[in-house]
Amino acid sequence: MNHLMILSWVTFAYFASFVLYLFKMIFGKEFWGRAASFLAWTGLAVQTIALILRWKASYDLGIGHVPLSNLFESIVFFAWAIILIYLIVEWRTKNKTIGVFVVPLAFLAMAYASISPDINNRIEPLVPALQSNWLTSHVVTCFMGYAAFTVAFGCGLLYLLKNMENGNKEKPFGFLGKLPSLAMLDALIYQNAALGFVFLTIGIMTGSIWAHYAWGSYWSWDPKETWSLITWLIYAIMLHSRYVRGWRGKRLAVLAIIGFACVLFTYLGVNYLPGLHSYLK
Amino acid sequence: MPTKTNFLWSFFSSIKLTIVLLVLIVLVFIIATFLPPQEAAQEFARQLSPVAANVLLFFRLSDLYHSPLFYALMGLLSFNLIICSTNRFPALLRQYKASSFPEPAGIFDNIPQDQIIIADKEKTTVSLAVESCLKAKYGSVRKIDTKKGHVFYGERGRFSLFGVYAVHLSILMMIAGAIIGSTFGLEADINIKEGESVNFVNLAEGKGIHKLDFSVRCDKFIAEFYENGAPKTYRSDLSFIKNGQVAHRGSLLVNHPITFEGLRFYQSSYGTSPEIKAIIAYTISRKKSREIVLAAGDTFDLPENKAKAVVLRVEENIMELGPAVKLRITSPQKDVQFWVFKNIEDIKAANPGLLSEMPIINPGLFKPLVFSLNRIEQHYYTGLHVVSDPGVPLVAVGGALMVAGLMIVFFWSYQRFWVRMEQEKAKIRISVAGRSTRNSAVLRRQIDNLCRRISMEMKA
Repeated sequence: MNHLMILSWVTFAYFASFVLYLFKMIFGKEFWGRAASFLAWTGLAVQTIALILRWKASYDLGIGHVPLSNLFESIVFFAWAIILIYLIVEWRTKNKTIGVFVVPLAFLAMAYASISPDINNRIEPLVPALQSNWLTSHVVTCFMGYAAFTVAFGCGLLYLLKNMENGNKEKPFGFLGKLPSLAMLDALIYQNAALGFVFLTIGIMTGSIWAHYAWGSYWSWDPKETWSLITWLIYAIMLHSRYVRGWRGKRLAVLAIIGFACVLFTYLGVNYLPGLHSYLK
Repeated sequence: MPTKTNFLWSFFSSIKLTIVLLVLIVLVFIIATFLPPQEAAQEFARQLSPVAANVLLFFRLSDLYHSPLFYALMGLLSFNLIICSTNRFPALLRQYKASSFPEPAGIFDNIPQDQIIIADKEKTTVSLAVESCLKAKYGSVRKIDTKKGHVFYGERGRFSLFGVYAVHLSILMMIAGAIIGSTFGLEADINIKEGESVNFVNLAEGKGIHKLDFSVRCDKFIAEFYENGAPKTYRSDLSFIKNGQVAHRGSLLVNHPITFEGLRFYQSSYGTSPEIKAIIAYTISRKKSREIVLAAGDTFDLPENKAKAVVLRVEENIMELGPAVKLRITSPQKDVQFWVFKNIEDIKAANPGLLSEMPIINPGLFKPLVFSLNRIEQHYYTGLHVVSDPGVPLVAVGGALMVAGLMIVFFWSYQRFWVRMEQEKAKIRISVAGRSTRNSAVLRRQIDNLCRRISMEMKA
């Protein structure tokens, strides 16, 4: 079977998993949660197989390379990493509500990769600049970082939602009572942001080393580089404000959301920034 | 005076200043990425008004990363970092040197039941068992005797107290490396035609030329393409010549720079030199002449009637019919111009009778000579980027230190454990307590682990 076909099934599995996590949150039955986790784990395993098949397919075409070389491949890997980190968090915390806010993001990434007309899903040969051993380590670390930030973002959203409950203490309406505790969400936001920060740091470093070998300069203020630094600084501010000034809870959640917006801009938005060409024409 | 210095000191040692500076730097970056690139911005400002252009130039708004504003922010940040670190260092050193005894006051009060183990063995046995448990887990154990019994102490990860310092030091190292690189470094470009050599490079931003004490020859440039037209390989075969001898030979590829005499050479671009050469020949009474190599504008003599030929044009591909040269031949009797196509046989076969309709493409127009274009040669030039950056080692060490420091900050903590033994009638009460610089979950697991271990020893 074609790996693209498998990937579209994986997209569907993530969507179904999200719906089941939603059921679990609303109805509270353990069954829905187990089914949701099962689908997410299966999706992850199948997606891994699909990525390996794509890898193999590139060798069959005689242009073998790791499937991390263009926008399509990076988005698919992004979704893979989101699910992986989410499932580790779920396994450690035994809480399935976070899935309602994180799994749909992986689904959206997969759907965007397959639906958007701007994204080419063909396996393409590597141009000379990409023919480097640093490609894999750079892309993997950056996207593991992005994925951890995505999980922190999901927890941030959940925190703000849960926080609304404090307004009417006497009767927590519906499912809000079933959300994880604020303290736990706070810890999860912090842990995932810290994990993402370490990955992003290594990602920027490996990118710098690569740039040193490819372009002769470890830093050239290219918009993408600058935005990765902006993202890095936002999370640095977040981690400092918590550690030194004791910022917790709501402010941390808001910073996790701002940070995630920066991640998205670094990843996708940078392509729309004015360059020399767009300005002159 | 002291109040003034104190004010300055506390201003620069405040973490609020750090956060404000970081936010300002982020804002500068955001603006910088949204501003158009330098050349375009200057052009735009010039069209707007000369004053606007001057303002832009003065603040280097079009190139914020090299503007006084950005330098000032980075300077303040470095200063702030140094002051903060200095300020906090004595406290850190105290923490590092803190003695293990007496244990923090009240550490054994209100500890949960599962951190208390009751043993009904002899005092020395228990003491040895606890000591060996701590020793197995934390290497070394310290012990004091109090009125009530022994207190043992074990710890791990004391070095992690310096993790934050490693990260902050690494930032200063990288800033220093960047300053060294931009002060003492060199950045230049040079184009070398195939077969030619150069002994200078053009400095970036039009700062003139830099003479090399060796020369670089491009022996060959190769550009390969995939079937879909995307580039596959750019390769320059270079020879580095010193004192008239080839000192080093190597193939330069993208991602694989060559270092020679402290300069790093990068494959950065390529092109074809404007000069195209045509290799032509002619036949006269079935005898083929030798090959003549010509560029546009060259002239040559013909054996017939004192005729002279001049090459008007050399084309790589004209009218989709392939390479061709345009010749003009003048003799006392005649003055003709015509094209000589390389693929004339194919063209004739595809369009019978074309030559008589269009004499301008007839290579035999100047009778009795018939010209042929054997091939054309176009020479590539390779574009090299030349760099020397003495700041790189410092930046690299800084980068490694930062990653190591972050790992320590986030994945390690300084954990200290105290175990107290108290005689309670016939039994011995063992209490376990701990302190950690961060991450209470890990501390909790460590304590549970230690308690389990001790209870197992007691049951054994």
